[in-house]
Amino acid sequence: MRFGRISQAVGVAAAAALALSACAGTSGGSTSSTAAAGGQQGGSVAVAETNGFSSFNPGTADGNSDVNGHIGYATHSSFIYIDDKLNIVRNEKFGKYEKVSDNPLTVKYTVNEGVKWSDGTQVSAADLLLSWASGSGYYDDADAEAKTGTTYFKTAADTSGLNLTDFPELGSDGRSLTLKYSKPYADWELAYSFPGNGGVDIPAHVVAKQAGLKDTQALVDLLKGLKRGDSKAPKPEDASLKAVADFWSTGFESKTLPSDPSLYLSNGPYIIKSVVPEQSVTLVRNKDYNWGPSPKLDEIVVRTIGAAPAQVQALKNGEVDIINPQASADTVEQLKALTGVNLLLGNQLSYDHLDLNFSGPLAEKNVREAFLKTVPRKDIVDKIIKKIDPQAKPLDSQIFVPAQAAYADSAAKNGSSMYQDVDVDGAKKLLNGATPEIRIMYNKDNPNRVDAYSLIRESATKAGFKIVDGGLGKADWSSSLGDGSYDATIFGWINSGVGVSGTPQIFKTGGGSNYNGFSDADADKAMDELIVTTDKAKQDELQTKIDATIWKSAYGVPLFQSPDVKASSDQISGVTAMPNQTGVWWNVWDWSRK
Amino acid sequence: MVTYIVRRLVTAALILLGASFLVYLLTASSGDPLADLRASNAPNKQQLMNARTELLDLDTPAPIRYFKWLAGAAQCLVPFAGTCDLGKSVSGQPITEALGIALVQTLTLVTGATILAILIGISLGIVTALRQYSALDYGVTFMAFLFFSLPIFWVAVLLKEYGAIGFNDFLRNPEIPLPTALGVGAVAGLLVAVAVGGELRRRLITGGAVFAAVTLILIYFSATQWFKTPGLGPVVIAVAGAGIAVAVTVLVAGLRNRRALQSSLIVVALGVIAYFAVQPLLDQATALMIALLGLATVLVGVAVGYFMGGYDRGQSMRVAGITAFLVGGLVVMDRFMQAWPSYFSNSRVRGRPIATIGAGTPNIEGDFWVLGTDTFTHLILPTIALILVSLASYTRFTRSSMLEIMNMDYIRTARAKGLSERSVIMGHAFRNALIPIATIVAFDIGALIGGAVITESVFSVRGMGFLFLDGITHIDPNPVMGVFVCVAVTAMVFNLIADLAYSALDPRVRIKA
Repeated sequence: MRFGRISQAVGVAAAAALALSACAGTSGGSTSSTAAAGGQQGGSVAVAETNGFSSFNPGTADGNSDVNGHIGYATHSSFIYIDDKLNIVRNEKFGKYEKVSDNPLTVKYTVNEGVKWSDGTQVSAADLLLSWASGSGYYDDADAEAKTGTTYFKTAADTSGLNLTDFPELGSDGRSLTLKYSKPYADWELAYSFPGNGGVDIPAHVVAKQAGLKDTQALVDLLKGLKRGDSKAPKPEDASLKAVADFWSTGFESKTLPSDPSLYLSNGPYIIKSVVPEQSVTLVRNKDYNWGPSPKLDEIVVRTIGAAPAQVQALKNGEVDIINPQASADTVEQLKALTGVNLLLGNQLSYDHLDLNFSGPLAEKNVREAFLKTVPRKDIVDKIIKKIDPQAKPLDSQIFVPAQAAYADSAAKNGSSMYQDVDVDGAKKLLNGATPEIRIMYNKDNPNRVDAYSLIRESATKAGFKIVDGGLGKADWSSSLGDGSYDATIFGWINSGVGVSGTPQIFKTGGGSNYNGFSDADADKAMDELIVTTDKAKQDELQTKIDATIWKSAYGVPLFQSPDVKASSDQISGVTAMPNQTGVWWNVWDWSRK
Repeated sequence: MVTYIVRRLVTAALILLGASFLVYLLTASSGDPLADLRASNAPNKQQLMNARTELLDLDTPAPIRYFKWLAGAAQCLVPFAGTCDLGKSVSGQPITEALGIALVQTLTLVTGATILAILIGISLGIVTALRQYSALDYGVTFMAFLFFSLPIFWVAVLLKEYGAIGFNDFLRNPEIPLPTALGVGAVAGLLVAVAVGGELRRRLITGGAVFAAVTLILIYFSATQWFKTPGLGPVVIAVAGAGIAVAVTVLVAGLRNRRALQSSLIVVALGVIAYFAVQPLLDQATALMIALLGLATVLVGVAVGYFMGGYDRGQSMRVAGITAFLVGGLVVMDRFMQAWPSYFSNSRVRGRPIATIGAGTPNIEGDFWVLGTDTFTHLILPTIALILVSLASYTRFTRSSMLEIMNMDYIRTARAKGLSERSVIMGHAFRNALIPIATIVAFDIGALIGGAVITESVFSVRGMGFLFLDGITHIDPNPVMGVFVCVAVTAMVFNLIADLAYSALDPRVRIKA
């Protein structure tokens, strides 16, 4: 009996062991180090991003976030890219574009042979055409007021430029496309620019297939067959185009890596390898890529870290190599305390400014000028920005930022020198005993704006102004812009960095963001000329002129550029400061491990 | 009973409807979703505003939008239809998908912490209740309230600074200088001397022993570079196992039950033998295999208890089963430690194993043990942070509940009839003391799904709390509603379960339909 029990136990144990080894993992006992995968000549770098990745098409209105744009930038190439001096750099290895004619403005784009999507398909004229169709709003006939018609492609790009073109002419080689503009367009070079802004991001053959079309040619034929949309005479929506546009707009949205690899094709230096939702995205080198600056790293891991202190600690712990946290004095202090870290202090393209309404108590130029004379621009910079960037200076141009070549010249000549220092006596003289009441509106939930307001109030009161606090909460201030409930306001604009279409948006009579009622015939004329000027030097000249006109009319004053804080481990080289939204990623191919 | 449940469910549904309507309106009217675009100087501002207006359906007044949302949400009630529609977020992501991702992140973060906090909290509560007004009681109370009052973001940042960055620096060259070893040993000895009860002599002896043991262990660790190649080995498993066997016997059966003690010791011996036997099998482990092995271990323990018999067979089986499980845990722990060097030298880890962010090293490759270690190194700090702040409520609740029970008449009766102190505490007091705890545990599970917002943000985990906050900041009601529905439903269901459990646990409570 005893023996029986034991033998039964042994039998059961043996059976159990067998069953268990059946469910054992296939990997061997000794864990092979993955050094071979990560330790090749290129190496791997981890970059922190504030937001989670959400779309493989950064050009859509929904997918147009900074992280999607950065990953799109690393996985796509185009005819141009923007460097850290905000110059347009041509990438002739990708393809060429040339201005065939100035009148009418005609530009021919040709993609080089051998430039391929990561599934091996040649980047073709059809891809350029799809990019044009999405970035031009050519087919849209929606009227937002009347709620009629259709907006097909939900693009984040500004469609006003490409909308000036006729249906493009496709070259016989299948790789070229010619755009003819109905009138000259100043920012024509940015038409096929970078990912998320009309770059060649989305493969036409994939969209054609996913939208139920037979092949790429069917897509081209579909686009060719449809007429320009007219919002005054909206037509019933075209089902095939709607399917194409809907897939373009939403089909590439995904927080995870789709099982169908055609949904995340690359035509740039890197390919997306894996995505862990809300945590990380891994990019690996595109082996075929030879149509642009050659990348050094084999792998880039993008990690999602929202809070700035968490980014700093992750850098300190070696979990990430490059960070771009929200700029604050605390962050800079923490970063300065770290060893083995390169701190990159720079400026963003956004800047705070004081705008005066051309109405109410400030309708008179003398009063405006007197008010501006009291604005302590240097004190504001000292108090708000110097604790982050000790080198910071007030911004001296309404149109340029110091990163642009034209800034120095324009700042010297535009009359900003009048407003360098507070001149209470000068202001009193201009006011001639008057004590106008000025209501200043600002976002009182933004400590920087509160500080700027307090400093301005203190100084302006000395000159006799009666300052009324018109600060509003963060949810309300922006909707009261331009409603006449205030006389002056402090808020921020974002300089576009490259291109000139931003200028009339703010400064032209009736411009979409012209809230203070600025109107100047000379400036309007110069801006009308500006937006049809295709020559960069001429553009700079006109913008310099406009800048001076704005300053002369005592429009308001720019205060300071928002500081930008980036930091990288000293094991990494090639990371530089960059003011625009591409950030450190602009020269991703130069990054390398030491 | 059934009527009671149905009535509760109907009330719950009505509350949910009313509350969701309120939350929707509050979120929708908490600001202007177009605020950032209004102040923009982008040339295509109007186009972007139109796109967002269309996406969020802003032309429809919020109360009507709520009913549109409700119509989509109601489809979630249809099982297996896959028509669940909770709307889209401002970045175009379907809320159902976002919730799925966030829920996984949150649960990974808080499940372990909550279970550990409950176990540790209840144990500490009982111990402090039994030693009321002792140095230990005051010490635990002080620490519990200290951690309870500390802001968690601060605790978490300090943990990252010292627990991750500092510890990783230490691991580069894990040598403990002699003064440090002596100092740590002295502190440990002092703490134990204060905590342990009894007369001065006993305290001195215990404290001295702990001081010597801790110091020697630290010197040993330093000399052998234990932190680089950690492990327990069969000897430690045998010694620790024997300790566990005695402790479990004391708690569950009492040392007088010799059969129980013997069976648990036999189980420890079997465990040490199994330690050698299963190593090759463990090298190819999968999660399923570990679970099956765990089950088998417990079954073996129970079987040993059964065959040892004794006057109370059930007690022996329990003791042996629990001991087997714990010794099995030691073996698994040892195997994880064996994987440490290969984890440490993994190129993805770069020699800095304890992480400050996320739930895992991206792209890490390795076997079950390396991946398990990876999860451990990522979760340990947030888990500690969450335990520290949630310990107080469990400890204090259990303590007061236990004290109340210990003063009951039936406890006096139990003592008067000559029961051992062990059976009085474990058999009569402890179980009844647990009844009120059931309520707060059920309550906490609702809060658990709601997410630990601050901990999530410090450790860069994008769970439910992040989803909620992000929705609020973008004045986007859909994610807020998604989180709200999840949390509300869990809270209500668990409250119902708590009420039902109450009647099952406490014979004095009867549900009247």
